[in-house]
Amino acid sequence: MGSKLEGKVACITGGTRSIGRAIAEAFLAEGASVVVNGRDEAKGQRCLDEMGAGDRAAFYAGDASKQSSVEGLIDFTIDRYGQLDICCLNSGGVKMTAPVAQMTDEEWLLEIDWNLNHVFWGMRRSLQHMIPRQSGRVIVTSSVEGKLGKPGIPGYVTTKHAVNGLVKSAAHEVGTQGITVNAILPGIIETDIVRTTGPDSAIAMGLEGYDQMIALFTQESAIKRPNRVEEVAAVAVLLASDAARNITGCLFPVDGGTMPY
Amino acid sequence: MGVLEGRVACVTGGTRGIGLAIAKAFLDEGAKVVINGRDPAKAQASMDGLAAGDNVHFIAGDVKLRTDCEAIVQGTVDHFGAIDILVPNAGGGSDYAPVAQMTDEAMNDAMVWNFWHTFWTMRAALNHMIPREWGRIITMSSVEGKMGKPAISSYVAAKHAINGLTKSAAKEVGTLGITVNAVCPGAIETDVMMAQGPGAAEAMGLTYQGLLDMFAGESAVKRLNDAEDVAAVAVLLASDAGAGITGSMISIDGGTSPY
Repeated sequence: MGSKLEGKVACITGGTRSIGRAIAEAFLAEGASVVVNGRDEAKGQRCLDEMGAGDRAAFYAGDASKQSSVEGLIDFTIDRYGQLDICCLNSGGVKMTAPVAQMTDEEWLLEIDWNLNHVFWGMRRSLQHMIPRQSGRVIVTSSVEGKLGKPGIPGYVTTKHAVNGLVKSAAHEVGTQGITVNAILPGIIETDIVRTTGPDSAIAMGLEGYDQMIALFTQESAIKRPNRVEEVAAVAVLLASDAARNITGCLFPVDGGTMPY
Repeated sequence: MGVLEGRVACVTGGTRGIGLAIAKAFLDEGAKVVINGRDPAKAQASMDGLAAGDNVHFIAGDVKLRTDCEAIVQGTVDHFGAIDILVPNAGGGSDYAPVAQMTDEAMNDAMVWNFWHTFWTMRAALNHMIPREWGRIITMSSVEGKMGKPAISSYVAAKHAINGLTKSAAKEVGTLGITVNAVCPGAIETDVMMAQGPGAAEAMGLTYQGLLDMFAGESAVKRLNDAEDVAAVAVLLASDAGAGITGSMISIDGGTSPY
């Protein structure tokens, strides 16, 4: 049990499972209070039970692709714990991806809302709270696809590139105000959402199936294996801590050596 | 229990500045640490300050010499029985001037001090790490490993070269439990900066304060960095949790570099 985040308050979109859940547990282990968000009330309650952090953890139900949910999470966190120090905008993904030529408007708009607008809405709301306090951390879960591109997932690649730009710009706006804004860029991780949507994504990418998609991602890396949620959470703890006050506008890779820069 | 319990680290240029901060952070996390420097007298003061007893050991050596680089790595293995973490941290430059006036000696000095020292120690350390299938190499690059400034081309070229070496080595040993990463700090007012900054500033047509203001002005945080900030990143990269990060160039520069 550490104390790097003692007294800090964090909120995490998509925090009940996978990367978000690992970040929540790592923050709790370092002494923070954490609000996790997800769509499903029952899953949220189970998550709280499993984390067993008592009053230091709370759940906020809401769909991260909806503005009211994202802003509601920020407001709820401040209401519940009196402040917001660390805002993790982590939720994201695809539902029924396709190559550009076959992409539907519906899917495109969903991905823009889920992966990009959600980050903007959450960042804007939390900065409005952090700027007067001259203190804060915004941590965005981007992706290796925020720097690279793959066929069949154009919305994901586009929105992850976009959030990287948003992060860099915001970092320069608030750099002298005790607030850092960073992105973490994980390589492929076999999260619940990847397991759920991966088979369809693989077909959109022109691959035979899920296993081939995982193999494609891992072969591009130096470590030749998927990344792990704990590896992302350790970086999130560092970025959230006081020691990271001079890391901002940074696109922090956790991708086993995949990205060229 | 620290995250580096049972690990052995070697930090070149570890008696002051960034290297000393990394050594201290590693010791705090339970590692045994070899610090290297040229001057045993200076080292004694650093060792006294660390107050880490048998967990810290000094090896004298000049990183501009291949034989010394190899002896530092071998000395770490001989003293503590292994080398798990290598931080080739020493570096700098001399006789800064625009390319048109840069001497061979100045260019060579920066390349040997920064790049060749990193290569020599990395090669020696990998030969110990590969059979054990565990290792962490954290090279000391710089914001100048990603960007460029006039009149310090020797330093800029050497730091860019370190980034290339880092990325290539990472691909070679990626499946062997060994990661190779670079940290890219922005300007920090270390002893080396205080010693070499005035010369670099003069070559750029600036005062020393003007040089520091330029570095701070380029960042988002509008101030210089601290050695401890770099040490925190080094601890993460050296830990088990850092296993999924390799070939990266982590910026600790207050938002200066564009990528």
